[in-house]
Amino acid sequence: MIPTRMSASTLVRSTAMCVLSLLLLLLIPGYALAAGSIDGEVQRQPLNLTAIGMFLVFVVITLGISYWASRRTNSSKDFYTAGGGISGLQNGTAIAGDFMSAASFLGVTGLIFLGGFDGLVLALGAFSAWPLMLFLLAKRVRNLGSFTFVDVVSQRLDQTPIRIVTVTGTIVVVILYLIAQMVGAGKLIELLFGLPYQLAVILVTLLVLAYVTFGGMLATTWVQIVKAILLIIGATVAAFLVMKESGFSLNVLFAGAAENHPRGSAILGSGLLFDDPVQIATIMVSMMFGTLGLPHILMRLFTVPNMREARKSVFYASLFMGYFYLAVIILGFGTIYLLYGQPEYFGPDGKLIGGNNMAAIHLANAVGGDLLTGFLSAVSFATILAVVAGLTVSGAAAISHDIYAEVICKGNPNAHTELTLTRITTLVIGVIAVVLGIMFENENVAFIATMPMVVAASVNFPILFLSLFWPGLTTRGAITGGIVGLVSSVVLIVVGPQVWVSVLGYQEALFPYDYPALFTLPLALGVTWCISVSDRSARGAIDRRNYHDLLLRSEYGTTGKPHEVHL
Amino acid sequence: MEEKEVLRAVRRKTRLRLGSALITLALYFSYIFNYLPSGSFLKERLGSSWISGSLAMFAGLIILFIFLEWLFLFVDSDDDPDADER
Repeated sequence: MIPTRMSASTLVRSTAMCVLSLLLLLLIPGYALAAGSIDGEVQRQPLNLTAIGMFLVFVVITLGISYWASRRTNSSKDFYTAGGGISGLQNGTAIAGDFMSAASFLGVTGLIFLGGFDGLVLALGAFSAWPLMLFLLAKRVRNLGSFTFVDVVSQRLDQTPIRIVTVTGTIVVVILYLIAQMVGAGKLIELLFGLPYQLAVILVTLLVLAYVTFGGMLATTWVQIVKAILLIIGATVAAFLVMKESGFSLNVLFAGAAENHPRGSAILGSGLLFDDPVQIATIMVSMMFGTLGLPHILMRLFTVPNMREARKSVFYASLFMGYFYLAVIILGFGTIYLLYGQPEYFGPDGKLIGGNNMAAIHLANAVGGDLLTGFLSAVSFATILAVVAGLTVSGAAAISHDIYAEVICKGNPNAHTELTLTRITTLVIGVIAVVLGIMFENENVAFIATMPMVVAASVNFPILFLSLFWPGLTTRGAITGGIVGLVSSVVLIVVGPQVWVSVLGYQEALFPYDYPALFTLPLALGVTWCISVSDRSARGAIDRRNYHDLLLRSEYGTTGKPHEVHL
Repeated sequence: MEEKEVLRAVRRKTRLRLGSALITLALYFSYIFNYLPSGSFLKERLGSSWISGSLAMFAGLIILFIFLEWLFLFVDSDDDPDADER
């Protein structure tokens, strides 16, 4: 049963008031705490009232969006995909807003500040997945699925086991991705407001819960659109001001950066952060194929009315992201050009205040003063909220749609129970986000953001790609390959340098690379192929037979046939 | 329309998809040259400018990928016009 609009809106109003009150309660003592901490640590970051004002304006606007969206979110379809009523341009902007995360903006700029050109490899990896998304996945996934990519892979395979495996991959990806976002949020607000890290993480979670629990995908979409527009405006203004400082000459910018950086002109080429081609290959494989397996990104393909709009979405998203990553070159080298040699941005230990991830924020201060710092800080905060909101919707859909509705209820769920379960799952994900955000406080957000990429590349992508393009795939092969991909990627991440050495404190890692997708993706593909070709079961035969019908529907939608005029 | 014709059209579209993907992958992984001895020339500055071959490659790849996407949409534009109604 679908809840009535009256009861839903009453519930939303009262809960929104509670959330708003909670936020104010958190902000007021937070402000006092900030003042206190500023007194003791004035050299770190003065209190920026402009930033606080912009932050509050953003909060009010996005809560307003959530309230508006909550009145239009009355069913599971509304919750998961905004009723499929988003246009290609809107969805492309939202995809850009969803994907250009804190790691893209703060992490990549920070890595360029640290090692010049080498910092760009993450940006290229993130961007280059989008042409493949258009060529291989956008149309076929949109034509075959309903709410999640799991719908697509379960079209031709045995639903229950394949859903369980892919949902497990989804949940692992969502949790790992949440860690990166929460760490970014905590650091940013800690630096900007002087708020304790833990309080900042809780604040972000409360806001996201307010968006997602009531506004579902519609609120999430519009928060992402607003954020994407703000981020692009912020990056454009900051890049313009950097270019103004360098007399609108890239030569002056790069020459100045080479002069200021301790490693000189070496920053213009490779080798400062990475010098092993295998390491670079592992990063590139993880970033590209991981993006193609991210559940919250794939889910956005279902928010548009048809496959034509889905394809347009991907192209628009590429345009926005391409522009953004080109601007990041200027921002990154701008941090080197304008921050090195300026003592006010460095602590007594000689390191950048707040860590390298805060280089972009300091740059904003250097070229645009408090106003631009406040704007970019609010935008960074919005960035995190938008991404976390998308992740939360995706995680909730994995449990309530993929497991409850499709596995437990065999596709015939009680609509009211499903929607209620979705909202409860959203709250649980919020609690998990807080706990993990606090646990991983001291990790580099860019590196953490790569970890879910490895899992997505090793579990979700192989199953999705083979189900769409290989007639020989069977349920047994997909499940075995998915499990091998999941276990191998998690094990290799744990015994790799980032967890084994940095988190667990061992002296030397058992596996030398942080991003093992170069090994785990071929392993998953190979195991899937071996098991599928040797599968002689009756189910295997059905899986192979299903491909023909699936192929036609993937190209031509529900009819499975093209329009006569066009062939 | 006969099923054989439909299947032929699907195969053509699949070839276009996989071909475009292979071109993208080849261009993408050429970035590894920056980290190989054979790609050391990329570290050099372009002429008298301070823009290195590596930086130009990064920007060039992004622009090229966007162009490839546009080209793909242009070539693969014979989609079902009824799609809007589905």
